[in-house]
Amino acid sequence: MTPVLQARDVSMVFGGLAALKNVSLDLDEGKIVGLIGPNGAGKTTFFNCLTGLYTPTTGQVLLKGDPLPGDPAAVTDAGVARTFQNIRLFPSMTVLENVLLGRHVRMKQGPLSSLFHGPAFRRGEAAARDRARELLAFVGLGKVEDELSRNLPYGDQRRLEIARALATDPAVLLLDEPTAGMNPQETEAARQLIFRIRDTGVSVVVIEHDTKFIFTLCDRVSVLVQGELLVEGTPDEVRGDPRVVEAYLGKPPEEVEAELQAVQEGEQS
Amino acid sequence: MKTAMARPLSAIGSVVLIIGALLPWATFVLNDGPYPDKATLEFFDAPFGLSSFRLYLEILGLAGIVFTFVPVRDKIRVLKSIGWGAAGISVVNLLFIAGDGGGLGAITAADGVPAFGSIVAVVGSAVLLFGAYQLPPEPLTVIDSKLPWWAEWLILLAAFVALLFLITETLTAGGHSGVSDPYIGPLFLSYLSAVGALLGVLHAFGVTEWISDMSERHRVFSIVVLVLCAVAVPFTSVGNDYWMTITANIGVYAATAIGLNIVVGLAGLLDLGYVAFMGIGAFVAANLSGAVAAEFHIQLPFIVAAIASGIVAGVFGAVVGSPTLRVRGDYLAIVTLAFGEIFVRVSQNNIGGLTGGSNAIPNIPDLSLFGAQFNDAPTIGGLQLPGGVLYYFLIVLLVALVMFVFGNLKNSRIGRAWIAIREDEDVARAMGVKTGKLKILAFMTGATLAGLAGAVFAHKLATASYDSFQFNQSVTLLAAVILGGMGTIPGAVLGAALLFVLPEELRQFKDYRLLFFGLALVVIMRFRPQGLIADRHRRAELADEDTTGESLDDTAIKEPVAVAAKEAGA
Amino acid sequence: MATLLQQIVNGLIFGGLIAMVALGYTMVYGIIQLINFAHGEIFMTGAFGGLAVYTWLLPAEAQKIWYVALPAMMVGGAIVSLVVALLMERLAYRPLRNAPRLAPLITALGVSVFLQELTRIVYPGANSAVPFPNVFSAAPVHIGSITIPSSGLLMLVVSVVLSVVLQTYVNRSRMGRAMRATAQDPDTSRLMGINPDRVIVLTFGIGAVLAGIGGVLYGTYINNVDPYIGFQNGLFAFAAAVLGGIGSIRGAVIGAFVIGLIKNIADIYLPGGTAYDYVWIFILLIAVLVFRPQGLFGEVERVRA
Repeated sequence: MTPVLQARDVSMVFGGLAALKNVSLDLDEGKIVGLIGPNGAGKTTFFNCLTGLYTPTTGQVLLKGDPLPGDPAAVTDAGVARTFQNIRLFPSMTVLENVLLGRHVRMKQGPLSSLFHGPAFRRGEAAARDRARELLAFVGLGKVEDELSRNLPYGDQRRLEIARALATDPAVLLLDEPTAGMNPQETEAARQLIFRIRDTGVSVVVIEHDTKFIFTLCDRVSVLVQGELLVEGTPDEVRGDPRVVEAYLGKPPEEVEAELQAVQEGEQS
Repeated sequence: MKTAMARPLSAIGSVVLIIGALLPWATFVLNDGPYPDKATLEFFDAPFGLSSFRLYLEILGLAGIVFTFVPVRDKIRVLKSIGWGAAGISVVNLLFIAGDGGGLGAITAADGVPAFGSIVAVVGSAVLLFGAYQLPPEPLTVIDSKLPWWAEWLILLAAFVALLFLITETLTAGGHSGVSDPYIGPLFLSYLSAVGALLGVLHAFGVTEWISDMSERHRVFSIVVLVLCAVAVPFTSVGNDYWMTITANIGVYAATAIGLNIVVGLAGLLDLGYVAFMGIGAFVAANLSGAVAAEFHIQLPFIVAAIASGIVAGVFGAVVGSPTLRVRGDYLAIVTLAFGEIFVRVSQNNIGGLTGGSNAIPNIPDLSLFGAQFNDAPTIGGLQLPGGVLYYFLIVLLVALVMFVFGNLKNSRIGRAWIAIREDEDVARAMGVKTGKLKILAFMTGATLAGLAGAVFAHKLATASYDSFQFNQSVTLLAAVILGGMGTIPGAVLGAALLFVLPEELRQFKDYRLLFFGLALVVIMRFRPQGLIADRHRRAELADEDTTGESLDDTAIKEPVAVAAKEAGA
Repeated sequence: MATLLQQIVNGLIFGGLIAMVALGYTMVYGIIQLINFAHGEIFMTGAFGGLAVYTWLLPAEAQKIWYVALPAMMVGGAIVSLVVALLMERLAYRPLRNAPRLAPLITALGVSVFLQELTRIVYPGANSAVPFPNVFSAAPVHIGSITIPSSGLLMLVVSVVLSVVLQTYVNRSRMGRAMRATAQDPDTSRLMGINPDRVIVLTFGIGAVLAGIGGVLYGTYINNVDPYIGFQNGLFAFAAAVLGGIGSIRGAVIGAFVIGLIKNIADIYLPGGTAYDYVWIFILLIAVLVFRPQGLFGEVERVRA
């Protein structure tokens, strides 16, 4: 089976500085892949290559076997949706409107139809609203659709961003640090939400700092260090790899060991 | 502790205000009569006559006392509105008496007659305001009740008729049909301040929001009633040649402003050469009108010529908008500005004989429909209508059309995408919005509407001259959009009305028109960037800010007026 | 050939004038990314300031001695421009430092219209063009068949000298370093102890002084001024700043000379002649904005996600 999203030897050079060096990644359908690495390791740059914001200097990204289009809008149309590390909602649009905007690529009304609001337009609009409400209920924001998105609490804003991305009916969802700044309860809710998204058939890539979160969430984990892929494997393989412990965590092994122990215990309990 | 001071202060202020209103205001006799009559108080026999400002001040003062002691929600907004309204009236009249009426002597005690009325009233309103600002800010009152449809229809009908009455009274406040009245300026401003206070109080009670939500629920009904109200205007007290011309001009600029609102208010693209598209429309229509000076000696039916104007302007809009694919923000503003300047130069030089150069294209034939010339005064069933009323109706139709386009596009997939581009272009693209195409579409739509308005404009004026489409006009239109409120229809109409009615009413200050625009732009950006009528979304934001004491709310309504009056009086 | 040379000379003189205005645009943009539309009006108020000094402050004898009158007018013009610019910065722009980008731009537009109208209303006789004394009335310089008016030569010289001084100041002085640091990264430079408000005020101030002096020199060269000279020349200056790469001092000066040359050469050699010279400049401006928005000397902005 071909992976739904595949990065092949992606390199990205900015003004002579290599931000990414031959990074490859396979995302199989219905799986969750995690991407970890210290600050400045090139995670977000890699993300931008996967969403068409950057065109890789060399190498390529394939979506269901086809090369990714060069334009972010076309990439979204093709089925890759994303969220942003520092939440970027449309602040003075309502919650519902934010999700409707995500629906944009799946709606077909052109200028004339939008101008005259004919029966087809109204049907399309109603269907989009239904779908948007469904998604809001799915992420747990069913009650606040008329709030301005900027007035939502932080955690809800993250969830709204996910709902907006899901509204594009993506095959692949890219989440950029979905739990940054969240407390343990919210993080747990986010984990459950991502599982539920996976269960609807969407494949997910997650960037995260929180290794505990990644190891308990993902089917496979890739570690980026200084623009290079250090290790790729199952959470257990990655967790046990001494290079990760040294290069990524940069802490004395015993300390890390204790931390990992805690993670494993947390899982069991 | 601060709040404890609020009640006594606003009560004292209100009382002082009433006393001030009752005192003599001036000691001199101006031109044909005393301003205002020192002895007589013509309260109710001539409510909109010379001493009307006293009536308004009395009412505001009484309202101030009542609302100080009666428990109402959002007391701070109520008292602030009353205070600013009273301040506007007293300052305007004080400045007018002192400025046009012979200096400080007129407002103090010359000729042995003390005439401190205006000063006392200013002090009173200041105290009232000071008291009001001690109150804790409150979130905007929301009336959530829904009534049966017929009751809501009745309320809407009453609201729109009241609005119509308010508008015609505003237009004729203190004077009629443009007769040169030396008092017209201050009387108009006094009336405006009073109306502002009234609307402010209604806003604080949540009534304006309630009605606007209601009209949102019954959009079709509201539009029909609104159009009927507009059609009714010629049959009211402003139904004369003079006001038909003025209101028609307002209509043309309002239509253009709504078009600009698509570009600036929805898509967030600053267009500084927008009036050029109106000019293109005007010149196309002029050339197809059979005017003697036109390059093409053909006369197409107006409707065909108007559509051609829209299309040509739209094509230019797409061309001018195409740099948006590469150029963002400020730079785009410059591209449009440069385009506007090129248009002015080129049409001034009569390029290809299409624009008549500095001679303009004069004598564009009057429109006619079923043999009725549009400039004539028609008689319908024995009822004599004012001249130019047919143009007025045509322009009402134009405004309705433009509103339809704006409203429908805004509430669609495309409108949402425009707003998303305005809010965060990168994210809009990441969400699959083809930003380039949509930005060009915004330019094109706006330009087409401006072109249509230009075609009507050319026929209405019977001439098309490059001089009507200079940079200053673009600034005025932009000011209309921003003053009224970006992204809203009523905002653009209100903005256009204010910017084109004020100079008429304040003719003795006409020279200061642009000065006032410039100042208004600065003041609005500083204190009320969302404009007088904020977008529904932004409104909610505002309510939010108010509770933290960020926004200055109503001040922006009266401040420019007061400042303009001050400038004028100085 | 003689005509071409003459046009080149005229173009350089005009370029010198434009450069003095363009520097203000480019510096302010470099520091706070604001297109200060009203900068053209700073130039205009400078011209009127100089005229006011001549008309009301200088005694009749001093009016005739150019080396007394001209410096006095330049100082007067610079002071007026400086005061106007600093008031503008403090009252109109500073409160909007963190507002959305459209807000300061619209404010700038408002300030521009306001200053034009204020000057027209306040300055006696400014409803139409006001004659400006030709204080520097030395005999024109003849080189071969071309004639260089002395006031034009003066303008060119002053402009080039001031540009060099400015460039040196920005490159060498402590405040200049602070300016460059703020332009590159305001947050970091704040952490380094640079007061951004001071840097911004200084930037506005320097731009205003240059524009004010430019205004006075413009008056002596053209011999009349009106409240709208700032708008048109301001646009040219802005075009020059963009052409040279907005934010770059050297770029603005070179851009100004290019604009000056194009205008004067278009007057004779391009279709339409003088009636269309503005059109050519604006077309060039649009072309530069579209095809090379970073200008001739600007750097390409790096894309950030």
